[in-house]
Amino acid sequence: MAGKSIVVTSGKGGVGKTTTVANIGTALAQKGHSVVMIDADIGLRNLDIIMGLENRIVYNLVDVIEGKCRTQQALIRDRKLTKLCMIPAAQTREKDAVQPEQMKDLCADLTNDFDFVLIDCPAGIERGFKNAIAGAHSALVVTTPEVSAIRDADRVVGLLEANLLNDIHLIINRVNQKMVKKGDMMSTADIVTLLSIPLLGVVPESEEVVISTNRGVPLVHDRGSKAGRAFQRIAARLNGEDLPIEDEQHEGFFGRVKRFILS
Amino acid sequence: MQENTTPPVQIKAIRDGFLLVPSPVASFQTIMEFLSQRLTESHHFLKRARMTLDLRQRPFRAEEVRELRRLLLEKADVELVQVRLGEDLRGLLSWAAEQLAVTLSVDQAHQPEAQPVVVRTTCRSGSRFESEADCFILGDVNPGAEVLAVGDIIVFGNLRGIAHAGTRGDRSARIWALSIEPNQIRIADLVAVPPKGSRRGSGRFEVAEVQGEMIQVTTL
Repeated sequence: MAGKSIVVTSGKGGVGKTTTVANIGTALAQKGHSVVMIDADIGLRNLDIIMGLENRIVYNLVDVIEGKCRTQQALIRDRKLTKLCMIPAAQTREKDAVQPEQMKDLCADLTNDFDFVLIDCPAGIERGFKNAIAGAHSALVVTTPEVSAIRDADRVVGLLEANLLNDIHLIINRVNQKMVKKGDMMSTADIVTLLSIPLLGVVPESEEVVISTNRGVPLVHDRGSKAGRAFQRIAARLNGEDLPIEDEQHEGFFGRVKRFILS
Repeated sequence: MQENTTPPVQIKAIRDGFLLVPSPVASFQTIMEFLSQRLTESHHFLKRARMTLDLRQRPFRAEEVRELRRLLLEKADVELVQVRLGEDLRGLLSWAAEQLAVTLSVDQAHQPEAQPVVVRTTCRSGSRFESEADCFILGDVNPGAEVLAVGDIIVFGNLRGIAHAGTRGDRSARIWALSIEPNQIRIADLVAVPPKGSRRGSGRFEVAEVQGEMIQVTTL
């Protein structure tokens, strides 16, 4: 059975696209699915660092696309999970080295061999973005509760819809419940209303994310971490499981969000 | 000085003959000289051809057309069959007015009436919709989106982006929405920014219109 290819995008930089890809990919692989993550951010390679696989890179995405190596040769296997692979971006090339058509072919190839193909999209809406979304069946839009990030997410949703990618879900990253309660941060309900796309999950703000990124070990390996659990639940929902959105303190508030999503 | 990249006259082959394109900047004198030379050089090739004069760039002057026609006929036996005009009809009008000794004017209003634009999706950041008449939005207008209409703007949702009604200066144009909380609204030449901290979720239709010299938002 052919797998699903999913692009993770945001428009704005620094909202946690790469972290999301690394954690969802790892969580899906933990559940026994075969997963490949593609770093489409050519020239600004990051995913390998977060996965702690930087020193294993021999071939990269551009090598595969230019036919300098076989796809199998560029796949880097994770240190812990055998079903998890990634294709790193080229660090020394430009985004023009790849054409949308070529990405489409590569993704079509990979979906034959893997259950999930996760594409880490670069920030921005130019060439790199168009390449990254070319081969995707569905999209995850990551945003933080900041007005600028939400504005960019809105634009990106519009562009995805214009490219006939209609299966779009939202992940809200770095939510600080204390600030939301005080009214200093936009609530998830407000964001979902504005963007009007279904919510897949909410990830709380946490220092653990920074630590895990620096160590090169995805957070979902750490069972005690709240953010890690949030990513695990997102991965489960992505896999079709019906879990309620975050069981945080106030049930009523999230109940409202959930009702909105189900409607 | 005449050795520019474009010659004063270009002759192009089209489906049923030739197209004569005089440069919009060259003087008529140079055009006539250049054309006369070209016609002498290749009068065998052009003989009895049907020529179309392209005046989409160069303004229409009756005297020039007459002269060109005479030159073509005398030098190479070429018949001028058609003159193509551009959008600018002022030259033709003033000539016709002179002929008839009466002032002529073209009524712009006879053009087909503009249709209202209906948008059936949410207007997201970065999108821009323009309408020559009214504009209907069946969804929200998010921040960063722009909606412009010569007439009214009607939003069946929340208006949070920029809306400009009456873009041609019609101050009686209005903006309707389920909730008006935009960054900025404009009606004709007036611009308004909503007062800070005002957030009424009235849940009923709101309308923005010009009252005096101000844009006022009222709940219906």
